[in-house]
Amino acid sequence: MKYSLYPGCSMEGTAVPYLKSIEVVAEALGMHLEEIPDWNCCGATIASGVVGDFTQQVVAARNLALAEPKGYDVLVGCSSCYFSLALTNRRFQTDDHFRQMANEALAAGGLRYNGTLRVRQILEVMINDIGLDKIAARVKRPLTGLKVAGYVGCQTVRAVPWEFDDPEDPVFMDKLIEALGATPVKFPMKAKCCGSSQALTATDIVLAAGNDILQCALDNGAQMLVTPCPMCQLNLDAYQGMVNQQFGKNFNLPVLFFTQLMAIAFDLPPAAWALKNMIVSPYEALAPFGINR
Amino acid sequence: MADNNVSSAPIKYDHNFAQEFFSTENGRLAQKCMQCGMCAVSCATKDLMDHSPRRLFNLVRAGKKDEVLGSNTMWMCTSCCTCKVRCPRGIPLVDVMHDLKNMAIAQNYVSYPQAAFYQAFWQEVLNRGRAFEGGVMARYYLKRGWGEIKKAFEMKDLGMSMLKHGRLPMVPPRKIKGLKELQQIIEKAQALQRKEAK
Ligand code: SF4
Ligand code: SF4
Repeated sequence: MKYSLYPGCSMEGTAVPYLKSIEVVAEALGMHLEEIPDWNCCGATIASGVVGDFTQQVVAARNLALAEPKGYDVLVGCSSCYFSLALTNRRFQTDDHFRQMANEALAAGGLRYNGTLRVRQILEVMINDIGLDKIAARVKRPLTGLKVAGYVGCQTVRAVPWEFDDPEDPVFMDKLIEALGATPVKFPMKAKCCGSSQALTATDIVLAAGNDILQCALDNGAQMLVTPCPMCQLNLDAYQGMVNQQFGKNFNLPVLFFTQLMAIAFDLPPAAWALKNMIVSPYEALAPFGINR
Repeated sequence: MADNNVSSAPIKYDHNFAQEFFSTENGRLAQKCMQCGMCAVSCATKDLMDHSPRRLFNLVRAGKKDEVLGSNTMWMCTSCCTCKVRCPRGIPLVDVMHDLKNMAIAQNYVSYPQAAFYQAFWQEVLNRGRAFEGGVMARYYLKRGWGEIKKAFEMKDLGMSMLKHGRLPMVPPRKIKGLKELQQIIEKAQALQRKEAK
């Protein structure tokens, strides 16, 4: 199975552990990933606020145009990139007027996109293309007894509502956790917004959301959270110390990308676990499985 | 709650503003709003907003330009899509918020920190083809000035722990190879967008 990988800007920076684990996990599952050559920023949900949706979607479409000759599905991890690329793709496929205009703009850079690709969220691909059985069969280090809160966040399941999971009560992440031998805890806040890009601009939003989400995970017995979203991961991991300060809490909950947990359960080389990148240490939670610093 | 004040002065409506807003790409979809309030009860950040999305659309209809473009509502929006999923009229509120931000910036309503952040982000994309997080932060702090830089220093523990864990590269990645072509594409897209809006 071949895919065009769109890493996105955060995987070059704050979300490096996501990329490190995705690449190795995909290989272990027989997926062949090719990075889109010379990809550019998709604009996320930010650029359209400055230049408008049309320009932002044209910027996103440059990536689809670069990937189209291969014909592979475009694999996206970051939820904001998924929002941007999936919606852009949909417009190319359903809105003739938009497609013509967008192609007029792309032509200024010698490109064209015909709308023939599929844009896929990596969590969805794991379940629908690879399958839970195959994932479970690949597990070499069953995470039996590990209680995990599957934190899906907002955009992954809501950018394109009902594309692959329930936008209010998603279940894909829990099923994946189960396939790795771990126990998904009940987690009513699994799809609550973490505050996303407000971390710098309205830090209080992120801290309040973090407090609610982490408390909910803890109350339900979770030892760690896993997520498919770089912003969720960063806000809950890097800002956990500030949440503790602000709300007088004592949270010590590691927050991993779900692909890191897969790399551990598959017993892939520790470099793919990328645990050194985590700010809240995951070692205590993982000690029962023979994983030490 | 200026909207509810009883005053003998005649209320000034700016009907051009409603027209202007309803002619934007997504703003036109907000015309279908039936004021049910589902977005308001669902919103992740409504407690911090000057007006809920529902109320904002009502103010648009009333032509209250200053109150709409000067409000923090769209800037507090985190693009979480909860309202979009629930709106019974299928209005993509997130995208409408984008148009409102866009309008606010274009008309110089830029006092909110988010406006500076958005502009910083876009400059980074325009100059590099990718959004280098360190670059976005540097541009943002420069725009916001000393007060914000002081706040950044107060969060230095956070920055240090991110550096220590290899989560905050200080050296930007190389510019994309097709940067010039990307810039040409953007220029053309902007020209087409302006033409379309007329
Ligand atoms: S949910 Fe939709 S129809 Fe209801 S008030 Fe909000 S925008 Fe209007
Ligand atoms: S997308 Fe924005 S307006 Fe809608 S619920 Fe989320 S924060 Fe509120």
